[in-house]
Amino acid sequence: MKERKTSKLFAVLAVAGLIVAGTTPVSSADTIKIRLYVAADTNVKDLWEKALLPEFYKAYPDYNVELTFDRNGQNDAQTLAKVIASKVTRKDPGMDVIDGAMTVQLGGAGMLWRGTAGLMPNLANVPRVLLKNGKGGIPYRASMVLLAYNSKNVKTPPKTLAEILAWAKANPGKFTYNAPSGGGSGYSFVQTVIDSYLTQQEIDILVTAPNKALQAKWEKGFQTLRDLNKVTYGQNGTYPINNAATLDLLAKGLVDMGPVWSDQIASALKAGTMPKDIKTTTITKPSLTGGPAFLGIPSNSPNRNGARILVNWVLSPVAQNIIVAGAMNGLPVIPSNLLSEEISATVSGLDIKTLRPPYISSNISDLRTAWASQVPGK
Amino acid sequence: MPESIQVSKTENLATSRVARFSLIGFLMSLPPVLVLLCFVGAPILIAFAFSLGHTGGLNQIISLVGQEIYTKDAWWGTFDAYNSVFQDARFGPDLRTTLTVTIFATVVVTVMALGMGIYQRIHGGKLATIIVSLSLVPLFVPVVIAAFAIRTFYDGNGFLKAVLYQFGIDFPTLTMTANAITIGTIWTSLPFAILMVSSGLQSIPDALIESAQDAGASFFRIVRTIMIPLAFVPIVIAVTFTAIGIMGSFTVPYFLGANQPTMLGVEIAMFFGPYNRPQQSVVMAFVIFVAASLIAVAYVWANVRSAKQSGRI
Repeated sequence: MKERKTSKLFAVLAVAGLIVAGTTPVSSADTIKIRLYVAADTNVKDLWEKALLPEFYKAYPDYNVELTFDRNGQNDAQTLAKVIASKVTRKDPGMDVIDGAMTVQLGGAGMLWRGTAGLMPNLANVPRVLLKNGKGGIPYRASMVLLAYNSKNVKTPPKTLAEILAWAKANPGKFTYNAPSGGGSGYSFVQTVIDSYLTQQEIDILVTAPNKALQAKWEKGFQTLRDLNKVTYGQNGTYPINNAATLDLLAKGLVDMGPVWSDQIASALKAGTMPKDIKTTTITKPSLTGGPAFLGIPSNSPNRNGARILVNWVLSPVAQNIIVAGAMNGLPVIPSNLLSEEISATVSGLDIKTLRPPYISSNISDLRTAWASQVPGK
Repeated sequence: MPESIQVSKTENLATSRVARFSLIGFLMSLPPVLVLLCFVGAPILIAFAFSLGHTGGLNQIISLVGQEIYTKDAWWGTFDAYNSVFQDARFGPDLRTTLTVTIFATVVVTVMALGMGIYQRIHGGKLATIIVSLSLVPLFVPVVIAAFAIRTFYDGNGFLKAVLYQFGIDFPTLTMTANAITIGTIWTSLPFAILMVSSGLQSIPDALIESAQDAGASFFRIVRTIMIPLAFVPIVIAVTFTAIGIMGSFTVPYFLGANQPTMLGVEIAMFFGPYNRPQQSVVMAFVIFVAASLIAVAYVWANVRSAKQSGRI
């Protein structure tokens, strides 16, 4: 009986302890919490946790960032629904800053807070056109799709899209691109082929607004892509499932050429998982797409001030240096002359304003499903 | 007279006792039933309503986010979403691939599991036990690891191709084909079927097999008339669970199959995520649901049959 009493006492104490621990912040009694939601690959999580946030705390010791990570944005649909629902029901969305592909959709739905240059001085250095496209999403780094090739077997790399297509046909089984549904590098190649049959005006419409009527003009591009079925890797109209699968085929020497993300190939080359023979180049007529990654501040976030301070700092030269020079190998969204000297040299030739942007997200979904029904195995 | 009163009293007691036990039994079975109703039943009903174009209420948010959403035009809904899926050029080949892989792989798995089980039951011995326990190893390998390993093995410069190349044979690359999906699903489904079938065969009494042997019955006659009928229920369970598992598989066809046509499990994920067409993915899910229900009927039928034979119903 006595034993039972003591155990009861312990239980009560434990519960009381839990309640106390739950109500009072453990260590950061006087810091302000910023809830950051990252829906991307692990390299983006590392960028925040290992590179950006330690520097941010040096500049702003009063703030504490709580990071929630969703690998590859697998729960994007649910998270998107949660943020939209929080607006409808006037509740806390549960996040103050969002880093992920869904910021584009949230911006389009008018759910993001549009910062002003007065409240976020560093916005002045970001190209206006990118801010306009973001619709509240704030570009903070960029990456582009490059053409990777094995320099041992490809002596003169293609300079235009037409040259890539000619090379692929002359070297059956040695070129590939991944399925657009599985990753942005293959998607970029598909959109580039399709865009080569469209006028600049038509492309601009597809980049900015959903448009079913214009999608009928994709057919010529699909015909070109269908013609590639017999010459791409496998030669039976099958394509790697995602970005990583293309990199894998390049690294193993199974293909000699393919579109890849600039940051992923740079990281792979640095890490040694990609042979040194693999080189990259840009093409023209038209160029492969690329573009910024956006941060979003939900307009109903209860801590918009903290969010604004974090985002503004990420646009500062200090943070942009980290994005370019660190393991991320990203492209800056501010003019390269603002970066530190040796870093700016590595990206001086690139102007992210000239990157051809991908379509708006609903047209991207339409292009992915149209490609899947019209190209592979046909 | 007093005797009869006593009899009726006992009867009453017994009945009330049975009733009390059955109430306790009912209450004990309630939690899993309630969990199923709340977390499986209700979402299925909501999804079904969504597939019929009921886009309000609990389906409001997903209808805002998704593309190509069909909204009901009658009080009960609309079949527009079903029509759009059935008219999609991808659906027919996908369904055919799913059914072909399911049927073929299930047949192979069943035959292999029966062979292994019968060998162990009739021959027995150390070797048989070792083989059966080895065959259970894939049960402990996560499917995603297995799929990746199989892909590496059959890939363009995989082990199989590399070895045969040494002998001057240009073996075709199997990855990105329905053949690779079939190999992968057989690999992952075999252990459970062997476990089920061999334990069913083990429970057949020695006396029955030995007396048949004494009477001069051939091996195939013993298998056909004694072993399979007596282990019928475990075999049906193995077949139905294997078929339903293969029909809804995602990882193996995603890693090993072609982009198009693919199995419906992959296509559902594609329509839900990258294509942003949640309503169509729900429609395809219901097609799989119906097909799996047909298989489940066989399972229920086998159970009812065995219950009838043992006199439980």
